[in-house]
Amino acid sequence: MQNDQLTLASARGPSGPRSRRVLPAWVSTTALLLPTYGWLTIAVFLPLITMFVFSFLSATPMGKAPIVFTLKQYRAFIDQPYLVGIGITSLLIGFWTTLFCAVLGFLAAVALVRSAFGKTREMLLILILLPFWTNGLVRVFSWTMVLRENGFLDSLLHMVAPDAGSIGFLYTRYAIVVGLVHGYLPYMILTCYIALVTIDDAIIEAASSLGARWWTILFKILVPLAAPGLISGAVLIFIPVIGSFMEPRILGGRVGVTMGTVIEDQFTQAFNWPLGASLSFTLLAVVLAIFATFSGVLRRGTAA
Amino acid sequence: MTSLGRFYLIVILIFLYTPILVMMAMGFNASPLYELPFSFSTQWYEALWSNKVLLTAGMNSIIIALITAVLATMLGTMASVALSRRTFRGRSLLQLMLLPPIAIPWLITGTAMLIFFYWSGIGRGMHALLIGHVALAIPYVVLVVGTGFKTIRADLEEAAMSLGSTPVHAFFSVTLPLLYPSILGAALFAFAVSLDQFVISYFLATPGYTTLPVQIYSSIRKGFTPEINAISTVLLLGSMTVILIFARFAKPGDTSDKR
Amino acid sequence: MTNVKVNSVAKTYGTTPVLADITTEFTEGSFTSLLGPSGSGKTTLLRIVAGFIKPDHGMVMIGNNDVTDVPVWGRNIGMMFQSYALFPHMTIAQNVAFGLERRGIRGAQARKEVDRALEMVRLPGFGDRTPKQLSGGQQQRVALARAIVIKPSVLLLDEPLSALDRSLRQEMQVELLRIQRESGLTTIFVTHDQEEALTLSDKVAILDKGRIVQIGEPQTVYEKPLTRFAAEFLGDSNFLSGTVENGAVRLADGSLVRSTSPLPASGSRVTLAVRPEKMAIVSGDVDGNAMKARITTVIYAGPVLSYHLETADGLPLKLFAQNRDGVVLKQGDEITLGWSADHTVAVAD
Repeated sequence: MQNDQLTLASARGPSGPRSRRVLPAWVSTTALLLPTYGWLTIAVFLPLITMFVFSFLSATPMGKAPIVFTLKQYRAFIDQPYLVGIGITSLLIGFWTTLFCAVLGFLAAVALVRSAFGKTREMLLILILLPFWTNGLVRVFSWTMVLRENGFLDSLLHMVAPDAGSIGFLYTRYAIVVGLVHGYLPYMILTCYIALVTIDDAIIEAASSLGARWWTILFKILVPLAAPGLISGAVLIFIPVIGSFMEPRILGGRVGVTMGTVIEDQFTQAFNWPLGASLSFTLLAVVLAIFATFSGVLRRGTAA
Repeated sequence: MTSLGRFYLIVILIFLYTPILVMMAMGFNASPLYELPFSFSTQWYEALWSNKVLLTAGMNSIIIALITAVLATMLGTMASVALSRRTFRGRSLLQLMLLPPIAIPWLITGTAMLIFFYWSGIGRGMHALLIGHVALAIPYVVLVVGTGFKTIRADLEEAAMSLGSTPVHAFFSVTLPLLYPSILGAALFAFAVSLDQFVISYFLATPGYTTLPVQIYSSIRKGFTPEINAISTVLLLGSMTVILIFARFAKPGDTSDKR
Repeated sequence: MTNVKVNSVAKTYGTTPVLADITTEFTEGSFTSLLGPSGSGKTTLLRIVAGFIKPDHGMVMIGNNDVTDVPVWGRNIGMMFQSYALFPHMTIAQNVAFGLERRGIRGAQARKEVDRALEMVRLPGFGDRTPKQLSGGQQQRVALARAIVIKPSVLLLDEPLSALDRSLRQEMQVELLRIQRESGLTTIFVTHDQEEALTLSDKVAILDKGRIVQIGEPQTVYEKPLTRFAAEFLGDSNFLSGTVENGAVRLADGSLVRSTSPLPASGSRVTLAVRPEKMAIVSGDVDGNAMKARITTVIYAGPVLSYHLETADGLPLKLFAQNRDGVVLKQGDEITLGWSADHTVAVAD
């Protein structure tokens, strides 16, 4: 009768005898992971290891020249003291950029959470983050349009004071910082926003009901609770900034000499790869040290 | 308070967009030296059409971005499946290993790639660029797909299995269809990341084969011309469009049951 | 229609034993509730029967088949989840047909079976809708249809009604019972809601800390709990501790309490349980047990008046009285409680 097929199927169980055999889970897991991690090994990990080895060479290996291992590349800071100055410059640029991003970005995040709701907030978030995901080079270039002599800034000035000189400050350290802040600000806004958005409104209301004014709320409640966001944002900004070479070159011109540009020079001009490698690794060591120090906060701050 | 906040946000937006808008505008200004007053002209865009170097670089960028999107999405999705659905020793370590490409300054990664590709004979050029771009895009794919996984409840696969699906069948008939929006979003993301990638491309490009950002950089070093504004505007609008499409994808899909 | 047997099934996670040696049988066509607090192992037991969890040792039999080593998808079970787990990207009909398709039943015959199942859960014609368009109760019915259409050997329900609000829940309980009776499926139902367990089941199994504390018909388990835990978890109980003396129990305050349940040897300690609704306020001489107490709190709960009392010795007692005349007594009143020896149950600690 009609139920026969179904009864038979039930008795036999679904999927038939094939369902009994099961491949051990680790086989499929490995198959899924191998391509990705194999690729990353070739593209990232082996290169890093190779660069580490290279940093101990005395000169870029070319053709038949003998390979000599040495530590002299790592003594570069002692042998060439001007590097120390450059290192400090890079750190300072990193510091100022991060500081401005932190203040401006945190306040923007607060404004987003407290003053914008629903669709407006969504739209503002997208608008703020949109430039971040476009070409960094183009954004830096756009600042040259504004900061150069007779650029946008000067044009604005000359509209009100036609005889004034130029206030364009392209090719200065300030220009570099402005360009970097412009490039990385959305990052800080995002991390602070994520941290702030989880703060229960009721906490703020409770504080108000106990008599707190807006500055108390800001400094005693919002900042401490958003600290993970601030710290992760700071870390994730400081690190790329100290290694940047594009912004210093384009916005700083002759003044724009940083660790990043020095390293880049070794690979494109000076052809001293071992020195470039050792400087890179020194930079990497600084980066890893920062990560290690803040790893706990980072894991919580960027939980997405 | 609210209006103060709104005002501040507008100021921030002005800060973020003014340079960009200025740059775009100057691409339509006739003067080759960016001199004002402004007189509208599309000559620079017309000049682009005959600028073989820029056009080739642009084509290269798009081709590489497309291939990168496909490869990175495939590899990243597979890895994401294993990382999201399976538990095994060393999973945290593997997740950690996805950080270097995005956390380490690209200068370091780029120069490291240069060294390794030279020494191992892989060399520079299109294949090297692909290797680099895919490696950079994979972590983003894993992130986007991984987030998508979190919205799919595990008991859907269990329900499928209780009805007679093998785990493989359950994945393909239940999980994967629900994952499509995330996977597409990840592909768009990978495309955008590759299109905009400058630093790594800079080190892996050759005189014979470069990408658009690298070419723009060379042009800038030689001197500012409005042609650069024109091509930059095109690039900018291109990646903004891709990201906007991604934003539309990543939001609506509510793949969980209504309760 | 098949029975399900578990034999010496145990499961430990790390150093935490979740299920300790369970052996029991779920007879053909019966509706058994696994009742217990969270962490009692009831869900683990269900999932072992389903095949999602492999027991550390022991055997699971469905019908005459040893399915211990058979994975979930080979066991021919029907399962309902607390969160319904309907496939959001498929229509209702596709959802219900999913298991049929796995068994090679497609096309016209599948459609017929799907329609029949939807009618059985009183959702005829819903086939073309999607889960998003349905209410919680409707989704739950679809989940049920999906599970029974494949005519499984056993129906497993993992707290399926917990997410529904009260009236919907009661409605679904009635539906569930009706469908189970009509289809005759052996059903195992996990819940932490005692009322649900009592009203729906042929048998109730009380679990605590990975063990089946008591299993039996609802009336038996309720009227004659075997352990202190069973007496406390299912319903409410008053507990009286004392020493056995010549077939009765002498309490600390000297009073003698009689019980008709078997008592241990004279001289040993024993705990007696009396349910609050079995007690009554009495006056004068009384047949059976009696105790004086003072009212400490009166709780007006509508149909029932709940009294918290304390004896002179400080022993806390509870009394449930039917609300026939409204609130007559008040805090501080001294009353005498009376109850029968039949309702005094000796329980293991």
